[in-house]
Amino acid sequence: MHVGLFVTCLVDTMRPRIGFATIKLLEAAGCEVIVPEQQTCCGQPGYNSGDRKSAEAMALKFLAEFEAFDYVVLPSGSCAGMIRVHYPDLFKDDPALLARITALGQRTYELTDFLVNIAKLKKVPGTFQGTLTYHDSCSGLRELDVYKQPRALLAKMPNVALHEMVESTTCCGFGGTFSVKYGELSTRMADNKCQHIAAAHAGAIVGGDLGCLLNIEGRLRRNGDHTTRVLHIAEVLSDSDLEAP
Amino acid sequence: MQNTSINFKRQVTIKLADVKLQGALSRLQTRFVEGRAAVIGEINDLQETRTAAAAIRDRVLNDLEYWLLHFEQQAIARGAIVHWAETGADVNRIVAEIAARHGVRTAAKSKSMVSEECGLNDALELAGVEVMETDLGEYILQLAHEAPSHIVAPVVHKNMEEIADLFAEKHQLPRKTDIAELCREAREVLRPAFLNADMGISGGNFLLAETGSVLIVTNEGNGRLVTTLPRVHVAITGIEKVVPTLEDVTTLLRLLPRSATGQSITNYVSVLTGNKDSADHDGPEHFHIILLDNGRSSLLGSEMQEMLRCIRCGACMNHCPVYQNIGGHAYGWVYPGPMGSILTPLLGGLENAPDLPNASTLCGACAVVCPVKIPLPDLLRKLREKQMERGMKSRQETFMLKAWAWLALHPAIYAIATKIGVRLMRILGGKEKLLHHLPGARGWTDGRDFPAPAGMTFRELYKRGVHK
Amino acid sequence: MNARDKILSKIRNSQARTAAGSVAGTVAQTEMRDSYLALHPRGPLPPPLDNLVAGFKERAIKLSSDVMEASDSKDVPILLARYLSERKLPVSGVCWPSLAGLPWSTAGLDIQSRPAKNQDLVGVTGAFCAIAETGTLMMLSGPETPATTSLLPETHVAVLDPRRIVATMEDAWNLMRKEYKQPPRAVNFISGPSRTADIEQTVTLGAHGPYRVLLILAPL
Repeated sequence: MHVGLFVTCLVDTMRPRIGFATIKLLEAAGCEVIVPEQQTCCGQPGYNSGDRKSAEAMALKFLAEFEAFDYVVLPSGSCAGMIRVHYPDLFKDDPALLARITALGQRTYELTDFLVNIAKLKKVPGTFQGTLTYHDSCSGLRELDVYKQPRALLAKMPNVALHEMVESTTCCGFGGTFSVKYGELSTRMADNKCQHIAAAHAGAIVGGDLGCLLNIEGRLRRNGDHTTRVLHIAEVLSDSDLEAP
Repeated sequence: MQNTSINFKRQVTIKLADVKLQGALSRLQTRFVEGRAAVIGEINDLQETRTAAAAIRDRVLNDLEYWLLHFEQQAIARGAIVHWAETGADVNRIVAEIAARHGVRTAAKSKSMVSEECGLNDALELAGVEVMETDLGEYILQLAHEAPSHIVAPVVHKNMEEIADLFAEKHQLPRKTDIAELCREAREVLRPAFLNADMGISGGNFLLAETGSVLIVTNEGNGRLVTTLPRVHVAITGIEKVVPTLEDVTTLLRLLPRSATGQSITNYVSVLTGNKDSADHDGPEHFHIILLDNGRSSLLGSEMQEMLRCIRCGACMNHCPVYQNIGGHAYGWVYPGPMGSILTPLLGGLENAPDLPNASTLCGACAVVCPVKIPLPDLLRKLREKQMERGMKSRQETFMLKAWAWLALHPAIYAIATKIGVRLMRILGGKEKLLHHLPGARGWTDGRDFPAPAGMTFRELYKRGVHK
Repeated sequence: MNARDKILSKIRNSQARTAAGSVAGTVAQTEMRDSYLALHPRGPLPPPLDNLVAGFKERAIKLSSDVMEASDSKDVPILLARYLSERKLPVSGVCWPSLAGLPWSTAGLDIQSRPAKNQDLVGVTGAFCAIAETGTLMMLSGPETPATTSLLPETHVAVLDPRRIVATMEDAWNLMRKEYKQPPRAVNFISGPSRTADIEQTVTLGAHGPYRVLLILAPL
């Protein structure tokens, strides 16, 4: 399988090892992974802020860079959701482009969804030991039906004990620009999430979207919690959490 | 009701710090979220039923003139008088005229959110009509001179102690100590109001075109009392509430109480058609139905039309993490939560509620539970697009978005800018690898640290072949 | 132009925006609407119940109605007398004319055949039919079936023939269409005692309507 990897702007700038973890997992699943060099951002921040024009431009850029692949995989439910669910909305007045964008979107997957349902990864390379709890990021959950997939992958790891938190599917308060524009509200929502994490008594909080994880980690640390680890699912599944960031 | 949505941000600060309110809001989770979850499974095929419900609403909205006229014709044939009102002020005027025509001095009212839109009670008081709210929650609000904070549970923001204090003060009776006693006291205080009122005022959950009927769902019995005992009944609702047939409303009724309060059915469903005839012992002699537009018609045929499907269940706000943290008053008008964040700008002007479409993470929890499948996050986004088109966004935000988009479309410059940016942030993060302040992002760093980036970008590391 | 004309004209103009794509623009509208009204199709239904009476009883009890059963309608007053005395409730009230012939006084009850007044504490009615899906009574108002009898008193007693229990509200509407030309002034669906949860979201039985609802199933 010829897979194009779109690492996402947050992974590119903040946590590159998530990108490398993704490559490792995809190769373990037998994929040939190409990383188009000029990739930048899927356009979601602008789109969600009401700027359709720039979202359109970025969608066209994505189409040009990724159309050739059998599959496109992203370590992010929100960016994959942007591509599969929202890109078509941007081109509803152009049938030819709409068809191409829709078809590409159908081949675009969030990482765990791809590993479980397409690549059918049998063995997870990671050796993580310990307790963890899982945060279900909103877009992955509600736009792409990502819920069972990360849990199925974690279940393949014999030394992982998953402690489900109360309200794992409640929004953490990130919401892109919301986290800055409505900071007080966002902080309160992050705090609620941190309380649920604490109640789950796990050594690590794991999720599929780096935006959520940065938000959660930011509040944990400001609250004085410097021990709960904050990890992307790709890092846990591939032992990349053991490497330097 | 006066629209104070412009104060949203300030209200958020106040509400987040309001400990009593926070305690009250935590009850939403148990009663409404878990309540709905417990009974929604009673519906055989929930998704099929939601699709059918959305189709029923769309059938009407796509053909509203026909269904409204059919409703009017049937209602008049049964002896009701149908009035049309363009604005809330028109509703108030019409009700005052009806009151004057029938020598009405006192009115007993069961819950109507549309009447809140109009500010009906105040207008009637000015016209010399004493209005008694009879829905327990609305009655409490009337005593406290407050507005509702939820469309189904109007005093969700108050606790029992506050209500006991209020009753003791206003009723001049010994202070009660439990909820059952408070309810009994309200019953006894309000029963005379029902018996003596000249006019009953109600809302209308649905208007049935097939039979010309007004349908109301209630639990307390006050809805039945105000539409049965007084000699005049006035029902007020929005033009979008019409539903074609009895079967259609039955489909909607499977969803409404379960979505709203976690009930399989509300205690009373009343279908009111025409006025009493000579042989009846009870019922109004005069039945007036007022149909309010107030901006709804301008949504038809637009990309916002789906919002008119709303059946006012409140499920969206019950499941909204933003509403759950701030309650309804912060939204500044009659309708809070996701549906209010869309209706308030649409009916009251986007310029008067600029925060509402933006104070959402678009998490989508609302859309999952909406019984008529309104694409709430998409509509919120569309309002943001409108703000962008009309130049309503702040200069700073517009600049940041344009700058980011420009960079993202110029990968070579993006690469350089991000390489510099992450190195800078890594340095600022220091040994802790945490930034406590981020220039231009106080909204984040006032309450949270920002984890420092790795210090090099994925693209540059990948180019170097680090992974090989 | 009055308000009605202005509103209708606004609606018409708005609808013209989607004339191309909407239902309105494509098919012979009148036929479609008329046939929709005439056929009044049902939406998705719950699965059929094996036993309507058992299903009704179970749901009615779940919604806090009390249920008693009599094999013969003349036993109804005895059951009611027992119910009232167990709860130390007054033994006088009113009933619908159709139930006036039951042996009330023999059971020690003072039940008058007249509409309810505010002072009446027990109201005895029949019901047009009942719905098993939700344990609900369907009441149709009329000169012989005043609505206040099930509303003003603190105790509402409904004598219900089990053969009048149907599965769903759709079935109830069909029954009404068959037996009445058009709906009466008020159709009231009643599912237990009045209640409110406005204070701290705690359900309290007995708000403005009855505190308790007793359903006596008896052939009539």
